[in-house]
Amino acid sequence: MAQYDLTLTIAPYLDRHLVFPLLEFLQEKQLYTDDHILKAKIDLLAKTNMVDYAVDIYKSLYHTEYPLQEMLDRRTEVMDRLKYLEELAAPLVSFLQNPALVQELRPDKQYNLQMLHDRFQIRSEQIEALYQFAKFQFECGNYSGAGDFLYQYRTLCTNVDRSFSALWGKLAAEILMQNWDVAVEELNRLKETIDSRPDPPLTQLKNRTWLMHWSLFIFFNHENGRNGIIDLFFQEKYLNAIQTNAPHLLRYFATAIIINKRRRNMLKELIKVIQQEHYTYKDPITEFLECLYVDYDFEGAQQKLRECEELIVNDFFLGKQVQENGYLTMPLRDEFLENARLFIFETYCRIHQCIDIGILSQKLNMTYGDAERWIVNLIRNARLDAKIDSKMGTVVMGTQHTNVYEQIIEKTKQLAVRSYVLASNVSPASATIQA
Amino acid sequence: MASRFWTQQQSDSESEEEEEIEEEEEELETRPDPREGAAAGSKYLSANLSDSDESDDQRRVVRSAKDKRFDEMGTIVEQMKNYMKINDWVSLQESFEKLNKQLEKVIRVTESEKAPRVYIKALVMLEDFLVQALANKDAKKKMSSSNAKSLNYMKQKLKKNNKLYEAEIELYRQKPESEEDSDNDEEDEEGMESEVDYSDEEPGNIAAGYSGSEDEEEEEDEEGWEKKRSKKDKLMDKQFMRDPSEITWEMVDKKVKEIIAARGRKGTDRTEQVEQLTYLTRVAKTPAQKLEVLMHVVSAQFDVTPNLNTHLPVAVWKKSVQNILSILDILSQYRNIEVDERVEPESDTETQKGADYEGPIYVRGNIVAFLERIDDELFKSLQCIDPHTKEYVERMRDEPLFMTLAQNVQDYVQRIGDKSATARVALRRVEHVYYKPQEVYEAMRKLAEAQTSNVAEEDELPTEVDEGESGEDGKVIEIKARESKAPPSFVVIPEIVPRRPTFPDLSRVLMDQLVSTIYKYGDERTRARAMLCDIYHHAISEEFHTARDLLLMSHLQENVQVMDISTQILFNRTMAQLGLCAFRAALINEAHGCLSELYAGGRIKELLAQGVSQSRYHEKTPEQEKLERRRQMPFHMHINLELLEAVHLICAMLLEVPNMAANAHDIKRKVISKTFRRLLDINERQTFLGPPENVRDHMMVATRSLSNGNWQKAVEVVQSLDVWKLIPRREFVLDMLKSKIQEEGLRTYLFTYSSYYDALSLDQLMTIFELEEAQVHSIISKMMIAEELHASWDQPTRCIVTHNVEPTRLQALASQYAEKLTVLVEGNEKAFDARTGGGLEGISSMRRKEGQDYAGAASGRRQNEYTGRQNYREFGNAGNRSGFTGGRGAGGQTRGGFYRDQRSGQANSRNNSSYTAGYQSTRYQDAYSSVGRTTYQGLSSAGASRNAQPDAAGRMVNLAQGGLTRSSGRF
Repeated sequence: MAQYDLTLTIAPYLDRHLVFPLLEFLQEKQLYTDDHILKAKIDLLAKTNMVDYAVDIYKSLYHTEYPLQEMLDRRTEVMDRLKYLEELAAPLVSFLQNPALVQELRPDKQYNLQMLHDRFQIRSEQIEALYQFAKFQFECGNYSGAGDFLYQYRTLCTNVDRSFSALWGKLAAEILMQNWDVAVEELNRLKETIDSRPDPPLTQLKNRTWLMHWSLFIFFNHENGRNGIIDLFFQEKYLNAIQTNAPHLLRYFATAIIINKRRRNMLKELIKVIQQEHYTYKDPITEFLECLYVDYDFEGAQQKLRECEELIVNDFFLGKQVQENGYLTMPLRDEFLENARLFIFETYCRIHQCIDIGILSQKLNMTYGDAERWIVNLIRNARLDAKIDSKMGTVVMGTQHTNVYEQIIEKTKQLAVRSYVLASNVSPASATIQA
Repeated sequence: MASRFWTQQQSDSESEEEEEIEEEEEELETRPDPREGAAAGSKYLSANLSDSDESDDQRRVVRSAKDKRFDEMGTIVEQMKNYMKINDWVSLQESFEKLNKQLEKVIRVTESEKAPRVYIKALVMLEDFLVQALANKDAKKKMSSSNAKSLNYMKQKLKKNNKLYEAEIELYRQKPESEEDSDNDEEDEEGMESEVDYSDEEPGNIAAGYSGSEDEEEEEDEEGWEKKRSKKDKLMDKQFMRDPSEITWEMVDKKVKEIIAARGRKGTDRTEQVEQLTYLTRVAKTPAQKLEVLMHVVSAQFDVTPNLNTHLPVAVWKKSVQNILSILDILSQYRNIEVDERVEPESDTETQKGADYEGPIYVRGNIVAFLERIDDELFKSLQCIDPHTKEYVERMRDEPLFMTLAQNVQDYVQRIGDKSATARVALRRVEHVYYKPQEVYEAMRKLAEAQTSNVAEEDELPTEVDEGESGEDGKVIEIKARESKAPPSFVVIPEIVPRRPTFPDLSRVLMDQLVSTIYKYGDERTRARAMLCDIYHHAISEEFHTARDLLLMSHLQENVQVMDISTQILFNRTMAQLGLCAFRAALINEAHGCLSELYAGGRIKELLAQGVSQSRYHEKTPEQEKLERRRQMPFHMHINLELLEAVHLICAMLLEVPNMAANAHDIKRKVISKTFRRLLDINERQTFLGPPENVRDHMMVATRSLSNGNWQKAVEVVQSLDVWKLIPRREFVLDMLKSKIQEEGLRTYLFTYSSYYDALSLDQLMTIFELEEAQVHSIISKMMIAEELHASWDQPTRCIVTHNVEPTRLQALASQYAEKLTVLVEGNEKAFDARTGGGLEGISSMRRKEGQDYAGAASGRRQNEYTGRQNYREFGNAGNRSGFTGGRGAGGQTRGGFYRDQRSGQANSRNNSSYTAGYQSTRYQDAYSSVGRTTYQGLSSAGASRNAQPDAAGRMVNLAQGGLTRSSGRF
C-alpha cells in the first residue's frame, strides 16, 4: 500500500510541524518500519526547537540513555535564545497581557504605534521582537502562544511581508491546535491576501499550492470542509495550480466530489482534468473515475474500488477515525464506498435495459438480498425508473425518450407567440416612424 | 544597379517575363517555351544537356550557362560595332539597353558583381565613338531627327552608366591589350588556384598555424600572381616582399587601412584582398594588431560572395572558421584585449600596445556577428547544393566544425559576460541540434570524434614544433628565419581554444543545457525560437505530453502570427512534428488537431519551407520568390511530406468516417476535416477509379472500405503504404492503427446499420471486428452515454437492444425546418431591435430568456459531442470547431451575432475578442496576400475559433493563466 502513500509528495509543501501528524499516522499504520519513521522524525525535529522531544525520540530509536552532545548543545542554545527574545519582547507582551490596555488599541495602526511609543516606550524593535518571539514559540511547539502573539503582532505590524508570514504562522498554529473554525477564517484571509499581493505569477502559484496543501488539514476535519475544498480547488487559479504543480491533490479533490452528493455536476469537469493529468498522476481513486466515466469498464471500476478502500484507510486525511458510540468508524470511507457504488449503479442503469440482479450484486459488492433491497429503496425514493422482475431475477429499466413530434412541437410552440408579439410591436413602431 | 533602372523604364512586363523564362530554365524546367523561338531552341538544348550532367558535376552547368551568356553578350557587342559603322544611333541605343540587360544575366551567372571585360570594352568603345560623334558637328547636323535624339539620349545615359564602372574603364584604358578577351579564363584560373590553395588546407593543417610547407606554397602563389598582376598591384607587392623584420607597426597599420578603404569599391578583387590581408596577419606586430587584421580578413572573406542568394565557397568558409578560431585563441591568451562593436576607435594606436601591455586594449569587431554569418553561410550552402550529391554530404560533415566554433564563441562571450550574445550563440547551436533524433545525433558525435582524431594525428608534428618555439609565456617573436622563404609569423599564437566539439551522450542533455541558458538570458525572439526547438526535440523523442505542455504554457500559438516568418516556419515544423508524435502515441485527435491546420490551405510545402508550391490564383513576383527560396529548409532537415500527409489523412479518416455515418441525414452538419471531405468529394465524383497510386489514393480507398464496414481492407490498404518504414517503432504504430481502424469501423457500423436492427449480439460484433469483449462493451457504452446510439444493453442475453428513435428522413427534415424557423424569428427580432434601438421591454426580456435557454442547449449539445471524444485541452477541437461554424453557413452567422448580443453579460469580452481576432486575420490576409504569410492566417483563425467555443474558452483562459505561471517557472 506504500506505493499510494503521498506523505513524501505532500511533505515539501507543508511546514515541519504540520508533517509531524502525518508521520505519527504512518507510524500507527505500520506502512514503514518504525526505525525509518523515527529517523524521519529526528530529521524533522533537527531544525525545530523541540529539542527535548528530539532527544526522547533519539533515545527510543537507538535504545540509549545518552543523547548526542550536539543535541544537548542545541538545547542550551535554544534556551538562551528563548530567554533573550523573551526579555526583548517582555514590555510588549506585558502590555498585551493586560486586557484593559489592549482595549485602547484602535484599528488605526499608525495611531497604535504612536500610542505605544509615547505611553509605553515600545518601539518598532520590540514589535519586531514579538514576531521573532512568536516564531520561536512556534518552533518550540507552543502553538497556542505563538498563535496569540501572531494575531496581536498583525494588528501592530506595518510591514506587508511580515504580516503575510504572520498569517501563515497563525494558520499553522491554528491547524496544529485543531481550532478548525478559526483556521477556516485564517485560511480565507490568507487566500485573499495571496490573490491581492502583487507577486510574480510563479510565487503566487507556489503560495496557492502551499495553501491548498495546508487546507487539507482543515477541510477534512471541519464540518463544512467538504464544500469548502471543492469551492477552493475548483477556482480556476487553484485548479491551475493543481494541474501545474501538484496533480496529486486530485486524489483529495476527487474524493471530495465523490462524497458530496450536491456537487455531482462538477464531476464532468473533474474527469476532464483527471484525464489531462493522467500521464503525470494516477491513483486508484482517479482511476476509478476514469474506468467508470471514460472507459465504462465496470469490472475495472470494481477492482479499483477495492483498492480505493485500502488507500483511504492508509491516507492521513481520508482515513480519519471517529469514535462513535464506542465504535471506531471511518466516516469518509463509508461515504465514499456508498457513493461510489451509487455511481457505478447509476451509470450501469443508464446503458442497460435489463440487468441480472445476481451480477449486479456482484458488481456492487453486496449479497443478492442486499442488492435487491437497495434497488427497491432506490425505486421507492423515485431515484430510479425501473421495475424488478423477481421471477427472472432481473431489473427492467423504463425508457424515457421524448417523441420526435413532441420535440418539434416544443421547438415551434414558442415561435408563434414570439412572432405575434413581434408583429404587434412592429405595427405601432412603424406607425410612429411614419408619423 | 543602373541597368535595372533602364529596363524598368522600357517595357516592364516584357523584361520580367524574359527573366522569368531564364530563371525557369536554370531551375531545370524542361518544358520548351514557345515564346523563345528558334534561337532559344538550342539554348534549351544546351541547358538540358548540362542539366542531365548536373548530378555528376555541378560546376559544368555553371560554366555552360556562363559561356552562353558571354556569347550572347559578345553578339550584342558585335552588333553595336556594326551600328557604329553605319552611324545608326537609334539601333545603337536599343543595343545598349539590351547589353545592360544582358549584363545583369551575366552577373547573375558568374556570381560576381564585377562587370565582365567584354562589357567594359564595349563601354569604352561606345564612349570613344560618342566623343567622336559629338566632335563632328557637321555630321551631327546632318543626322535625322530621330537619330539625333538618340544620340543625345545616349550621351546622357552613357555618362551616367559609365560612372559606375569608372574604375574598370580606367583600368581597361591603361592596359587594354593584356586583358583582351582573357577575363573569363583568368577569373577561373584564379578561382582554381585559390581552390588548390584552400583544399590543401584541411582544417587541422591550418591549425598548425603558419608552418613551413604552407607558407612555401603561399609564396609560389604569390609568384604566380605577379605575372598577371597589373602595375599597381605589383607596386603593392613590393611592399609585401620586403624583409619581414623591416616591417613596422605603422606600415602594417597603413597598409591595412589602405586595403580596407578599397573594400567594397568596384574593381577591387575580393579574393586578392583576402590574400593581402592574410599576409598582413603574419607580419602583424602585436597580438592586438594581429587580431584586428584577422577581423578584417574574416570580413573580407565574407565579402567574397557577391550577393545574398549565393553561398560562400566552401573553402573560403572553412578558412574563415579557422580565422575566427585564431581570433578566439588570441582573445583567450590575451585577456586584456576586448572586442566590442561599440568602442569608438578613439586612438589609432590602440593596437600598438604590445603583448606586455597591462591595461585593456579595445578592438572593434563583433565575433557573434561573425559566427552568425558563418552559420548563415553554412545554411545557405546546404540550401543551394543539390542534396543528392556527394558534395552535400561533404558539406554536412562541416557541421561539427561549426559546432566547435560556436561552442568556443559561446565560452568566450560567457567569459566576458555578454548575456544576450550568449543566448544568441546558444540558439545557433540549438538550431543545429534540435531536429536530430538521438541516432543522428550519435552519428554526428562519432563523426566529430573521428574527424578530430584524424586531424590530431596529422597535426602532431607541426604543433609540437610550434610549441617548442613559442617557449616562454606562450608568445615569442620569431627571429629565426625558417628554411622556407616565406615570412614567418611575428606573433605566434598557440592553439588554446579546443578544436573539437564536446557533445554529451544524449542530445537531450545538450538541448537542456543550451535551452536553459537561452531562457535565462535571451530576448523574446530567441526564447520563442528556443522554446519551439525544445518542443520539436521533445516531439521527436516521443515525449508528447511534455512537448504539448511546453507549447501551451509558452503561449506561442497566440503570438506566432506576429513573429517573423522564419519563426513561423519553425512553428509550423514544430506543429507537424508534434502531430506525428501524437500519432505515434496513438492520440488521434491531438494529431489531427496539430496537422489539420497545416493542411487547411493546401500549401503545406510553403508552410514548412520545403519547396515552392505553385499557386493558381496569383503569380508571385520574382522578389517574393527569391525571398521564399531564401527561407527554404535544407534537405536534411525536411519532414517527410508523404508521411505527414498519410498521418494527417489517417487521422482525418478515423475521425471523419464515423462522424459522417453519424450525421448521414444532414451531411453538412458537422465537418471535422474540411480538407478530407473535399478530397473525398473529388474522389467520389470520378467516374473511373484506377488502383491507388499515391498516399491520397490509398487513403481514399481505405476510407471507402471503412465506411462500407470492410475494415480489413482498410487496414490492408493503409498498412501497404511504404511511408511506414520512415516511422520509428513501426510495429507498434501499425498495430495501433489496426486497432484504431477496428474501433472506428465498429462505430461506423453501428451508426450506419443500427437503425435496421432490433437487437445486435455482442458476440457477433466481437467476431466481426475481432475486438475484445471489454473493448466492444466500452465503445458501445460510450456511444450510449453520449446519446449517439439510441440503444441499451440487455444484460442476460448479451444483446444491444435498439430503441429505434432515429428520426426518419421526414422527421429529421421537420426538425431542421423548425430550427431554421427559430433562427428566422430570432433574426426578425434582432432586426426589430436594431431598428428601434433597444426594443420594447417585453419582447427583449422574453427573447433574452429564450436566448439563454437556447445558448444553454447549444452548449450542452456541443458538450455532448465532445465529452464522448476527448478533453478540451487538446488542440484537436480547433479543427472541429472551425469546421462546425463554417459549415453552418448563413444560419450560423446570424447566430454568431445573436450570441454575441445575448451573452454580453458574462462572456462578451471573450466572444468579442474572438471575433476581432477573426477579423484581423482576414485583414491580415489581404495585407500580406504575398508569400507564405497568408497561410498563417489559418492558424490565427483557428486560435480564434478556439476561443469562440464558450466551453473551451474557459479552459483555454484557464490554461492561459496556468501557462503564464508555468512558463515563468521555466524562464
